[in-house]
Amino acid sequence: MPMDTTTMDPEGVTETLNREKVQAYSGPEPEWLKERRSHAWEVYEKTPMPTTRLEEWRYTDLKKKLDLDGLAWPEVTECADDFDACPDGLRDAMEADRAAAGHVWGIDGLVFHIDLEEDLQQKGVVLTSTRRAVDSHPDLLKQYLATETLPPESGKFEALNASFWTDGILLYVPSGVRLDLPIRVTRWVSQTGVALFSRTLVIAEPGSQVSLVDEILSDDLESQTLVSDAVEVVAKDGAQVQYVSLQRLGHGAFYQSSQRTLAQRDSTLDTLNVSMGASTSRVDLNAQLLGPGANSDMLGLYFGDDTQHFDHNTSQDHVAPNTSSDLLYKGALDNESRSVFRGIIRVHPKGQKTDAYQTNRNLLLSDNARADSLPNLEIQADDVRCSHGATVGQLDAESRFYLMSRGLTREQAERLVVMGFLGEVLSRLPLGGVVEKVTNVIEEKLRQV
Amino acid sequence: MSDAPVLQIRNLHAKVAEEGTEILHGLDLDIPAGEVHAIMGPNGSGKSTLAKVIAGHPEYEVTEGTVTFHGEDILEMEPDERSQAGLFLAFQYPVEIPGVSIANFMRTAKQAHLPEGEELDLFDFQDELLDRMKLLDMDPTFAERPVNDGFSGGEKKRNEILQMAMLKPSMALMDETDSGLDIDALQVVAHGVNALTEEDSQMGVLLITHYQRLLNYIKPDVVHVMVDGKIVKTGGPEVALELEEEGYADYREFETA
Repeated sequence: MPMDTTTMDPEGVTETLNREKVQAYSGPEPEWLKERRSHAWEVYEKTPMPTTRLEEWRYTDLKKKLDLDGLAWPEVTECADDFDACPDGLRDAMEADRAAAGHVWGIDGLVFHIDLEEDLQQKGVVLTSTRRAVDSHPDLLKQYLATETLPPESGKFEALNASFWTDGILLYVPSGVRLDLPIRVTRWVSQTGVALFSRTLVIAEPGSQVSLVDEILSDDLESQTLVSDAVEVVAKDGAQVQYVSLQRLGHGAFYQSSQRTLAQRDSTLDTLNVSMGASTSRVDLNAQLLGPGANSDMLGLYFGDDTQHFDHNTSQDHVAPNTSSDLLYKGALDNESRSVFRGIIRVHPKGQKTDAYQTNRNLLLSDNARADSLPNLEIQADDVRCSHGATVGQLDAESRFYLMSRGLTREQAERLVVMGFLGEVLSRLPLGGVVEKVTNVIEEKLRQV
Repeated sequence: MSDAPVLQIRNLHAKVAEEGTEILHGLDLDIPAGEVHAIMGPNGSGKSTLAKVIAGHPEYEVTEGTVTFHGEDILEMEPDERSQAGLFLAFQYPVEIPGVSIANFMRTAKQAHLPEGEELDLFDFQDELLDRMKLLDMDPTFAERPVNDGFSGGEKKRNEILQMAMLKPSMALMDETDSGLDIDALQVVAHGVNALTEEDSQMGVLLITHYQRLLNYIKPDVVHVMVDGKIVKTGGPEVALELEEEGYADYREFETA
């Protein structure tokens, strides 16, 4: 019997996530934003929940991994901007941060602290929260937030995030302004059993330069918490942008991040995704090379233990001629952890003289760990250089014996091999402080193994 | 007691752990402190297996016999404990460890050799590393290269001797260190080993080789001939010269007779 789809209940509507909640939340907001959220919700209702029948979700079964019905709305706690009152985990992460041009700190989807060098403020750099920007910089939000970069139409989670985002980061760098030091964002999750939606928006005007290190972390969470991020990065002509995501959530978190980067003519737009935490972590990253001479380095690093599940879904779109991209994702997997990497290089018909590379390498530290790697190419131009490669290897007994025969314990031997393996990724983006921080997190994980 | 050999092997039987083929069939060997011994033998005689079994390679299982080192049974020790006890194996095929620099590797190894709670002095370490590299005619930049990754055969073997020079073992097992080396590289390696035995007159060395060539540069006190998992002859350096002239044919016939 044919099914009448028009009468089917929209998927993913719950007591917490529904039209009334969107309306209630956007009640005090300006009309344009109310409309945006309302439209996003309509898209959400119309979009089916991704299932494993979809190629892009084949190895991540949302039915098993995510219980939307169990999620509550977080209690809104207006945090005082007080360093000493912060949770220990957040304070440790902030203290470990190296020199920065500006800082943003937040808890449970709300930003409570922002600072930026005086000199940069005078040059017109904007660093604020998206919530404050509704009043202070509505034009920037109207133009860029969930519009051309990550519209709700991008997918189910993108629509959900565009409906419910509570806060986030807006970073705007005017033409020709260059930041010597990175902007550091540290976000903490304390509530358990809730849904959190946040957005990051970076706009780098022509000839500007900026790095953003965005760290999110928590302790282990008792019941499932959905942490949803939407990241939009625009590098205009000749701009140089680095975006680093450092995900260190505790067990119990379902992390979902949709990222899209737009690289215009002669710009450089590099990303690094470090996935260390959460029970399930799904990152969708799409890099658009839109102007001739645009370049994107896309780096990723993950380390799974326990029963962690990582799913990285990447795409490199070479729309304009003479663009280049180079992707390197490496991961180590211990215990019963699992990773999925799915990547595609798409060279559009006008993308002649494209240079595009894609490499995913996995190191299995246990017989029960698993890595699936699915690289792909789709080329519609004839004068291109593209390559892709994927490997899944074991930490072999011979390497271990070699190192142990020099006096290293089994643990020291494994640590050295893993650090050497993953270190290649960090050496490609040697941003002050990031390497040490990530190294420490990996060391911590290795100690627990 | 002081005359007791540093390394003493009695009736050693060992097999490949997974498939169960026995390779060492009751081997006896004594190496006193300060002596250089050579084991020569045809391919497949079990020479390399012997070296790996002494060092504790997990691929092999000892089914009978004893191996004592400084009077202590080492068969129950992990490979790292054997190293810390003063044993060193120079590998025939050194393993590549991508992304880990020689300096980092050696620093970790040196630290592992210190007593619990003692911290390695990094300045002393750096001086020692540079000094040892000079001994082996190595460029200082070598220390920053990833361990054996993309090394030539000669570089790999030199790196083994560098590690030996840094860890200062009381007994060094050298598994076919001469294989794949041209004469220049062989001389550098031999020079390094000789410098170390001069420095520490108590260090024992076991050279495992198929050819007499290496023994022109590192003079053995005792030469053993190994066939089919056993020592079949022991003598002075002249044994190696005999083998060079006559080959292993006699021993093979002896074996099949």
